[in-house]
Amino acid sequence: MNNVLSSILSWEFVAAGIRVTTPILLAALGALVAELSGTPNIALEGTMLFSAFVGVIISGFTHSLWLSVIGALITGIIMSSILAYFSLKLKTDIIMAAIALNIFASGGTIYALYLLTGDKGSSASLKSLVLPSIDIPILKDIPILGDILSGHHILTYVAIILVFLIQYMLYRTPLGLRIRSVGESPDAARSVGISVFKTQYTALIISGMLASLGGIFLSMGYVEWFARDMTSGRGFIALAAQALGGTSAYGVALGSLLFGFSEALSFSLQFLNIPYEVTQSMPFIITVGALAFYAWNKAKNKKNRDI
Amino acid sequence: MKSTKRYEIYRTAIAIGIALLLGYILILVTVFPDGDMAFAEKMRAAFKEANESFKTFLLSPILKQRSGEWVFNLRGFIQWINESVPIIITGLAVSLIFTAKHFNIGAEGQLFLGAAIATGAAIYFPSIPIITPILVILIASLVGAGWSAIPGYLKSKWNASEVVTSLMLNYVALYMGLFIIKTFLRDPNAGQLVSLKFSDSASLFLLNSRYRWHSGILIALALSFALWFVMKKTTWGYKVRLIGNNKHFAYYSGINTQKTFFQVHLLSGAIAGTAGIIELLGYYGRFVWLYSPGYGWDGIIIATLARNNPIYVPIAALFLSYIRVGAKTMGRYTNIPPEMVSILQATIILLVTAEAFLSQMRQRAIEKEARSTEEAIAGGDANE
Repeated sequence: MNNVLSSILSWEFVAAGIRVTTPILLAALGALVAELSGTPNIALEGTMLFSAFVGVIISGFTHSLWLSVIGALITGIIMSSILAYFSLKLKTDIIMAAIALNIFASGGTIYALYLLTGDKGSSASLKSLVLPSIDIPILKDIPILGDILSGHHILTYVAIILVFLIQYMLYRTPLGLRIRSVGESPDAARSVGISVFKTQYTALIISGMLASLGGIFLSMGYVEWFARDMTSGRGFIALAAQALGGTSAYGVALGSLLFGFSEALSFSLQFLNIPYEVTQSMPFIITVGALAFYAWNKAKNKKNRDI
Repeated sequence: MKSTKRYEIYRTAIAIGIALLLGYILILVTVFPDGDMAFAEKMRAAFKEANESFKTFLLSPILKQRSGEWVFNLRGFIQWINESVPIIITGLAVSLIFTAKHFNIGAEGQLFLGAAIATGAAIYFPSIPIITPILVILIASLVGAGWSAIPGYLKSKWNASEVVTSLMLNYVALYMGLFIIKTFLRDPNAGQLVSLKFSDSASLFLLNSRYRWHSGILIALALSFALWFVMKKTTWGYKVRLIGNNKHFAYYSGINTQKTFFQVHLLSGAIAGTAGIIELLGYYGRFVWLYSPGYGWDGIIIATLARNNPIYVPIAALFLSYIRVGAKTMGRYTNIPPEMVSILQATIILLVTAEAFLSQMRQRAIEKEARSTEEAIAGGDANE
């Protein structure tokens, strides 16, 4: 028990929690923007996976971090554009289109991995780069504060900045207002001259780019390879984190932290001989519980019952 | 109505055609030779090999080459039929839930947990022929219904998004199922993580014992017919379809929509729950999965292709397992990864569900039908 306590009350635990939270948070912000525009993006999982793959491949062949980040972002834009084109123009149900994209990403990355590296499991044979962690000057030398605030991954800082940026964008800019009004009532938005298509398309593109950042964190954040299905459900967890966090970026950040830390906890709890399967399923059980509570609370307060 | 149906058939055929063409292009890219030949020569070599591989892909589930001639391939045929069984069943479960316009995508978890728990019954139940497999399948079905009831209840009672909850529960079911197999039912003498063998009379009746053609296909077809009957010939099925078309209309015409939604989740879960255990009883004789087999996701593809009509579900499932068996066989003889098929599947889903895809064609068909009806009416008037 002491083992567990000391492992939870350590900087390593906090660092692990933050590390696990980062990709979930990035994708969850994407989920938030898409959700508010009225076009839920279930394709986050596939977008993350494909971006993780493209990032590693570009970095392996060009040895340029910039090109791989740009390549991953473009992948996100392309995935979102396909989703937007099919759901907004061709009237495919957006959930079906997203499921198709996820299937495409799962099989397509394995197929392309095999074509490019001759291996179907991982890109280990390809020499790829790792995005750096950052020590913040001066701050890193302050005792406790430095341990907490400095030395994290560059994308972790990006994610934290994005929380504020997205919140600002959604609630303080014309684009944010348009996104929310289109999500609230497309017809009302249309009647005052807002292009529903353009707004939802923009929201999906932003959502896809955020998911891409989450994706390259997985394949280039701390490791230097891509493995088949390496997102293993993080895109779906991001959806859950968004559902938990509600409509503000701060809430979504809290939801993502809950997931990140409950997963980090599941590593620590293995000391207690709690089976791996139990600890691994904990974050999912927590989500279902929290979603149920959230829905129950909402239904209780204002009769939010769908007929 | 007739022209709309014909249009749907054309559209599906065109979607499949485009997907197959894409498959051919992918094969062509894969087999494109390296080395320093002239480009034209490379192209010729690539086309030749791609044609050969594509032929294997398209024909191998039913035909095989023996000394230069194509003969019936019993083994491939049985593999084809066997592989279609679990996905017919998940296709039915998903088509039912989609008919009600709910997106419970938890079939994957329902079948996994159903199979894991029913495995216990298949090992330890007293061995009675016919009765035991029925009981085992019933248990899996109950587990599936129970698991599906959670998102169903949360949705119909408090309006919690069933998409997210059912997705989350898939993971919980996966870990719970593995935990059950590992802790209680593991075969200690086997090299990898598998359950103990099922008792002898728990297995399904075999139609061909050499390649283990099991009777699961008969169960799957019977289920398809039964679900078709329920959906098209009973009041309950009518209610579900009405809710799917317009739940507000259904609600205000006095249907208890929440109750019906919940029942749909239960029935869909009960069907999905059996998909895994039927394959295990029929083919493997023990629990063998280390991760989700993916049949729940296949069910979504199949329901989409079949337009949620239970009678078309087996056809869609047979199509899907056909191209999979073809791709696997092709993967054995060439270096083309069978994962290629998932790219084709994604293409098919996108095109089939794209309502506006080829909508001009539909428009023209409807206009033509309207005109001919008009003429018929006018003609009828003239006769009077």
